[in-house]
Amino acid sequence: MKRGGRIAVLVVWLGCVAACAWVAWHASYTTDLSAFLPRSPSVSQRILVEQLHQGVVSRLILVGIEGVPPPALGALSEALAERLAHEPDFAYVNNGSQARLTADGEFLMQHRYLLSPGVTPERFALAGLREALENDLDLLGSPFSALVSRLLPADPTGEFQRSLELLEPDAGPRKNHGVWFSADGTRALLLVQTRAAGFDIDAQERALARMRSAFDAAAAERGAAGALLQVTGPGVFAVAARADIKQDVARISLLALLVVSIMLLLVYRSPRALVLTLLPVASGATAGVAAVSLAFGSVHGVTLGFGATLLGEGVDYAIYLFTNRIPGSEPGRNLARVWPTLTLGVLTSVVGFSALMFSDFTGLAQLGLFSIVGLIAAYAVARFVLPQLVPQHFGVRPLAGLGPALAWAASRAWLLRIPLLVLVLLSVAWLTSRSGGLWDDRLESLSPVAESDKRRDEAMRRDLGAPDVRYLVIATAATEQAALQAAEAVGAELEHVRQLGALDGFESPALILPSDAKQRERQAAIPEPDVLRERLEQAADRLPFRSELFEPFVQEVSAARQAPLVSAGDLKGTGLAVRLESLLIARPDGWMAMLPLREVRDAGVLAAALRGANGVELLDLKGEADALYRSYRGQALGLALVGAGAIALLLLGSLRSPRRAAEVLLPLAAAVLVTCALLTAGGRQLGIFHLVGLLLVVGVGSNYTLFFERETFGRTDPQRMLLSLALCNASTVIGFGLLSLARAPVLSAIGTTVAVGAFLSLLFGAILAARRRT
Amino acid sequence: MRRSSVLSWVLAALVPAALAAEPEAVEQQSLAQPWGLEQLMVELGRVQHSQARFVERKYLKVLKTPLELTGTLAYDAPNRLVKRTLEPKPETLTVEDDRLVIESPARGRSRTLRLGEYPVLWAFVESFRSTLKGDLAALERFYRVALEGGPQRWQLSLMPRDPKMSTLIESILIDGGKGRIRRIEVREAQGDRSVMTVLEDAP
Repeated sequence: MKRGGRIAVLVVWLGCVAACAWVAWHASYTTDLSAFLPRSPSVSQRILVEQLHQGVVSRLILVGIEGVPPPALGALSEALAERLAHEPDFAYVNNGSQARLTADGEFLMQHRYLLSPGVTPERFALAGLREALENDLDLLGSPFSALVSRLLPADPTGEFQRSLELLEPDAGPRKNHGVWFSADGTRALLLVQTRAAGFDIDAQERALARMRSAFDAAAAERGAAGALLQVTGPGVFAVAARADIKQDVARISLLALLVVSIMLLLVYRSPRALVLTLLPVASGATAGVAAVSLAFGSVHGVTLGFGATLLGEGVDYAIYLFTNRIPGSEPGRNLARVWPTLTLGVLTSVVGFSALMFSDFTGLAQLGLFSIVGLIAAYAVARFVLPQLVPQHFGVRPLAGLGPALAWAASRAWLLRIPLLVLVLLSVAWLTSRSGGLWDDRLESLSPVAESDKRRDEAMRRDLGAPDVRYLVIATAATEQAALQAAEAVGAELEHVRQLGALDGFESPALILPSDAKQRERQAAIPEPDVLRERLEQAADRLPFRSELFEPFVQEVSAARQAPLVSAGDLKGTGLAVRLESLLIARPDGWMAMLPLREVRDAGVLAAALRGANGVELLDLKGEADALYRSYRGQALGLALVGAGAIALLLLGSLRSPRRAAEVLLPLAAAVLVTCALLTAGGRQLGIFHLVGLLLVVGVGSNYTLFFERETFGRTDPQRMLLSLALCNASTVIGFGLLSLARAPVLSAIGTTVAVGAFLSLLFGAILAARRRT
Repeated sequence: MRRSSVLSWVLAALVPAALAAEPEAVEQQSLAQPWGLEQLMVELGRVQHSQARFVERKYLKVLKTPLELTGTLAYDAPNRLVKRTLEPKPETLTVEDDRLVIESPARGRSRTLRLGEYPVLWAFVESFRSTLKGDLAALERFYRVALEGGPQRWQLSLMPRDPKMSTLIESILIDGGKGRIRRIEVREAQGDRSVMTVLEDAP
């Protein structure tokens, strides 16, 4: 090439790299794992995913204290709750102690005549009052008389108790030393809500750090050095996952770079060749990040993890370039024969990765774009820029003996074709025998949470009496009031179903905050003060109550008659506000009331009772989650098949011969089958990410099998070709293999699958090619 | 706090004097130790099973006349105690280990409470149960304990240690003699009080 042309190429390259680097530098990086939870199809499923990631549920942190004797745990729980209550990062702290419940109790007491469902005209009629007073007399005989006689003058009808019972079902956590404890009594429990949303990982991380230091201070103050703080919850998991990803991505990328560099140095014995080999990779990675940033607005940490894999494939092009140049010889001949095959290899990889771009998983779509742009850029740099940087007669003398050894092995590889056939047949037999248990059908398999953390989370949830809800009724309406009224209507139905024994109970936002209409109805049920006094006097006739004892009641009930209605704002600062927020949700298109059901025994009766109600939906969360996962897997399977089909078509079209295409695809098919069998051999099940990995095996593996195809192989210098193939494959296996060490399931599943599959593709390609060569 | 501790100090100082006044004390003195809390507890703890009738009068400020309840009591060592109210409304309270079961047939309700979750209720239950059991350590966990009198006639006064409990209950006075409890008086902080008289063993 002429000097002017050379300079032009270099200027264009440097300009592009600089532009991409600028974009990449200014890109925002996220690690929100919801990118790997797909956008969901149905409205109810979208609500589900949305709530999981930003709703009040996502802001809950379950805290456990253990490691010291129970009385000390109780004291620590109090001390920690006291400190956290003053931290601005936390909206709500509860450890079950009476002190924490005071605000709730005061609220209930103050508004009892608007909140209690007992406030009806019958209650304030003579018979109702008489019944209430007789009941009071019974209670005075009980061991609770000290408490009863205190509340009696202001609340003889027991509305405070009634509104309290409504909100505190019996299934609360157990208490020791005045605070919540685990069932086995070894762990004090607290429930904390952060002010920031669960997906705001920076804020969650800050809140957790505050909590740790508050705990340390409390433990130091109480001299409880052995006490341990355990935290769990969506935000905690997100913070841990981010730390894992950050650490993994940096570590794995560096490690892959190091290992590949050492390998290349050993083979090339030329630092200059090493630097030149890494140039396309660096350019490709920069371009990939820039493209993702421009297309998605931010770059996911997991996407960066794929830098390591890009390294594996991106070095290939330079390896072909260098190993196929013989020092001192004319560089053109050998290379000219390699490029068309290499180009086809890049295209098959690109087709494989592009299937990912249609995924509903934002994260997978990013991986696809990153890899496509990165590969094309690396290829272009290797093809057009590297030759300009390499001196005319530069070449590497690869480690002597490596080429001949590979050639020797390749020439005898055909001997393995019978074992290969047996292996494939065994794999098919194994896979068909396990067809039922091959797939992991649980949505949780997508979760980045470690098994041990998950178990602790479940245990703490069970102890806190907050087990996972399976059935949920959702009522949607245009306004807050309409949603509350809908919840009241559904609640009446549910109460009816409960009396039939089909369910144990339910929560409702309307039990915490009745609709305005319901509150007005209650106000209307209260008689005039004078009427009430007269009825009370009659009702108390012949009962031993002191006269005028109930004057505070008459005063307060009359005040409630004209009091302003209770609104959501009045709940501020109480634990009830947190619960209301989690059950009554403002959405862009209206309001949604959620009524979680406890212990549904007969879903049929339930569904029948709710049928026909407008804007009301019964959600089976487990059913929905399973359906969601199956739909994700169906989509992944579809994408994988379309991707593999596109690769086959591409090969067919460019090789212009079904036989040649078949020669390329046959070893790949064998590799995919055996990889599946190996992955499941240990009893492991395959998930969505393994499926994606298999598609990549086809896309990446074709790079090797293409070269073994008879006509291509015949045109090249076999020793040098085999050496480049071995080096390329080794770097790919290193890149993806190291990725399998990552803790994020998406990275490790794809890494393992591709590392195994890519190696098998090369091996099987050699075995099947050898048959034809000899 | 200060007043109570002074009180218990005074009570403690009075005990030997009261003992000396009792003729039985002379008998006891022949033993290695003088009669006191420890001996009383040993005596009470010997009883494995007991049953009695009771009459309870509650003097409440909200009522013009005292409330009277009657029924039976049953104790099985070491941890089971049943108070069965027959009049005016049947109600059964059963304490077993750390569980309190309240059964009110009239209201068709049965509730189970864990004492650990209701410290005040727990302390209240232990005033009675630990005394029957002769468990001084348990009593002293909840109360400052003082004893007056001798084996024939004694009075235990229990002052709650927990400030939360003392806002409800000022003191509990348990009278007895000859290894039996005869009367329990609960003085509430608000001025209400209840007196339970334990009558001879039920047939």
